Amino acid sequence: MKLLDHLEEWLIAFLMAAATFIIFVAVVHRYASGLDIPWLQDQLIQINMSWAQELCIFMFVWMAKFGAAYGVRTGIHVGVDVLINRLNTPWRNKFVLFGLFAGALFTGIVGTFGAEFVYDIAQHDSTSEVLEVPMWIVYLAVPLGSYLMCFRFLQVAWNFHRTGELPKHDHSHVEGLDEETSGGKA
Amino acid sequence: MNALIIFVLLFGLMLTGMPISISLGLTVLTFLFTMTDVPIQSVALKLFTGIEKFEIMAIPFFILAGNFLTHGGVARRMINFATSMVGHWHGGLALAGVLACALFAAVSGSSPATVVAIGSIILPAMVKQGFPNRFGAGVITTSGALGILIPPSIVMVMYSVSTNTSVGKLFMAGVVPGLLLAFLLGMTTWFLARKNNYPRLRKATWAERFAAFRKSGWGLFLIVIVMGGIYSGVFTPTEAAAMAAVYAFFISVFVYKDLRLSQVPKVLLDSASMSAMLLYIITNAVLFSFLVTSENIPQAMAAWITDSGLGPITFLLVVNILLLLAGNVMEPSSIVLILAPILFPVAMKLGIDPVHFGILIVVNMEVGMCHPPVGLNLYVASGITKMGITELTIAVMPWLLTMLGFLMLVTYWPALSLWLPNLIYN
Repeated sequence: MKLLDHLEEWLIAFLMAAATFIIFVAVVHRYASGLDIPWLQDQLIQINMSWAQELCIFMFVWMAKFGAAYGVRTGIHVGVDVLINRLNTPWRNKFVLFGLFAGALFTGIVGTFGAEFVYDIAQHDSTSEVLEVPMWIVYLAVPLGSYLMCFRFLQVAWNFHRTGELPKHDHSHVEGLDEETSGGKA
Repeated sequence: MNALIIFVLLFGLMLTGMPISISLGLTVLTFLFTMTDVPIQSVALKLFTGIEKFEIMAIPFFILAGNFLTHGGVARRMINFATSMVGHWHGGLALAGVLACALFAAVSGSSPATVVAIGSIILPAMVKQGFPNRFGAGVITTSGALGILIPPSIVMVMYSVSTNTSVGKLFMAGVVPGLLLAFLLGMTTWFLARKNNYPRLRKATWAERFAAFRKSGWGLFLIVIVMGGIYSGVFTPTEAAAMAAVYAFFISVFVYKDLRLSQVPKVLLDSASMSAMLLYIITNAVLFSFLVTSENIPQAMAAWITDSGLGPITFLLVVNILLLLAGNVMEPSSIVLILAPILFPVAMKLGIDPVHFGILIVVNMEVGMCHPPVGLNLYVASGITKMGITELTIAVMPWLLTMLGFLMLVTYWPALSLWLPNLIYN
C-alpha cells in the first residue's frame, strides 16, 4: 500500500517535470536551429522535435488521471460544503459518506466505460498522429486512473467510517510562513 | 423541462458536498441513462478527448511557474522594489502592497497564489509598522485578486477553452482593466490611509530605487518573456507558460537560491495535484456542456431572452448578478466552466464581444474571491493573519465596494477592455 502511494506521487511529479522540460527543449530547439551557426545548425535541423507537443499532451492526460486519484487521498477536490457543514454531526456524516460513495460509483462506471473503449480500439490498430503510439496505450490512463480513483474513494470512506477523519487539503495553509516572517528581511 | 431536471439534479448533488467534478459527471450519467438515447459510447469518447488540447496544457505550466515563484523569493524582491517607489506616499507599505500585487499578478496566473506570495511577507511587516491588522488584510485580499485579471491568468485560459476565444486577445484585454483596478485600489488605500494618518516611509533615493529594481529584475523579466513572447508570436501561450515554469525554476534555485533542490519534488507534486484537480473538473465540465448543448439549452435560453425583449444592458446586469451569486458557493474555475458555455451563445446573439464578455466574467470572479462564504482569497488571508472570516469580511469592505464600482465600469464600457487587443490584433 505504501508502495502504491509512493509510486503514484513519483509518477505524477515525474510527468509534470518531464512535460515541462520537453516543451522547453522543443522551443529552444526551434529557435536555436534558426541561428546561423554552421555545424550546430546542421545538427539541430536533423533532430525532429515535432512529437513534443503530442507527447506533452499524453503525459498531462496521464498526470491528470493519476493526479486526480492522488487528490482524492489528499482531499484536494473542492465541493460545496457550505450547507452540510451547518448540519449536526450524524447528518453531516451521512452526506459525507454519500458523497464519497457517489465518487466511487462515478469513477467505477467511468473506469468500466474506459476499459470497454480501450478494448474496442485495441482491436483496430489506430495510432497517434505523430508518435504513432497505439492509441489504446494512451487511453489506458482512463480506466487505470479511474479505477485507482474509485479505490481511493472507498479507502477514504472506510477511514472516515472508522476514525471520522477526512483528508482535507487546506487551501489557506501557507507553506513556510513562519520562516518567512522571522527571516524575511533581506 | 429537461433543462430544469438537469440543473435541479446538478445543484442537488452539489449541495451534498461531493466534489464539483463528481456531481457534474453523475448528473450527465444519470440523465443519459434515464432520459435519452444518446449512445453511451459518445460519452466515453468525450471522456478521452475532453482535455486533449494543447491550449489547456497552459494551466499546469502556469501553476508550476506560480509555485516556483511563490517559494522562490521573487515576491520579496518585488515588494522591496514597490516599497522604494511608492512607500513615501500616504499609506506607505499598504500602497506598496497594491503595487507589488500588481507586479506579481503579471507573472502569476492565480489570485490566491498572489495573496500568499505578497501577503505572507508584507502583512507582518505592516503590523510591525503600526498598521491595524484589518487594514493590511483588506488591502492584500482585494489586491491579490488582480492575479486573475492581469495576464497571465488561469481563469482566462478556462474561459478560452470553453468558448473558443483567443487566449492572446483575452490576455491583452486584461491589461488595461487590470492597471485601472490596481490604480483604483491604490486610491482607496491612499484615501483611507490619509484619513487615519497611517505611517509613511522615508522617501527612497533614486540610487536605492535602481538597486531594488535591479535585484527584482530577474523576476520582472518574466513579464517580458510571457507577455512579450505571446504578442510577438515567439511563443504560443502554452509554450510561454512552459518557458515561464523553467525560467521560474531556474531563478528560484540558481539565481536567488531561495529554493533548495531538495524542495523541488514537493513543488512538482503540489503543482501536479492542483493541476490534476482542475483538469478533472475540466473533463467533467466538457461532458456537462456536451449534454447541455445536445439538449439545446443555450439556444432555448437565447430565444427566450430575445423574445422577452431583454436588451444587452439588462442581460449583462442579469449575468453579473448570476455570477456574483454563483461566486458565493463555488470557486472561479468551476463557475467559468459550467456557466460560460451556457451564457456565451446568448451573449453572442445579443452582439456582445466575446473578449469583453470574458473580461466581465473574470472581474466577477475576482469579486467572488474576496467575499464569503467561499472567497478563496479570504481564506488565504485568514491563514496568514489569523483573523476570523467575519472580521476579514468587514475589513475588505471599502475595497470590495471599489471593485463593485469597477465591475459596473467594465460591464458597460466595452472599449476599456477592447481598446488594446483591437489596437494590437488589427
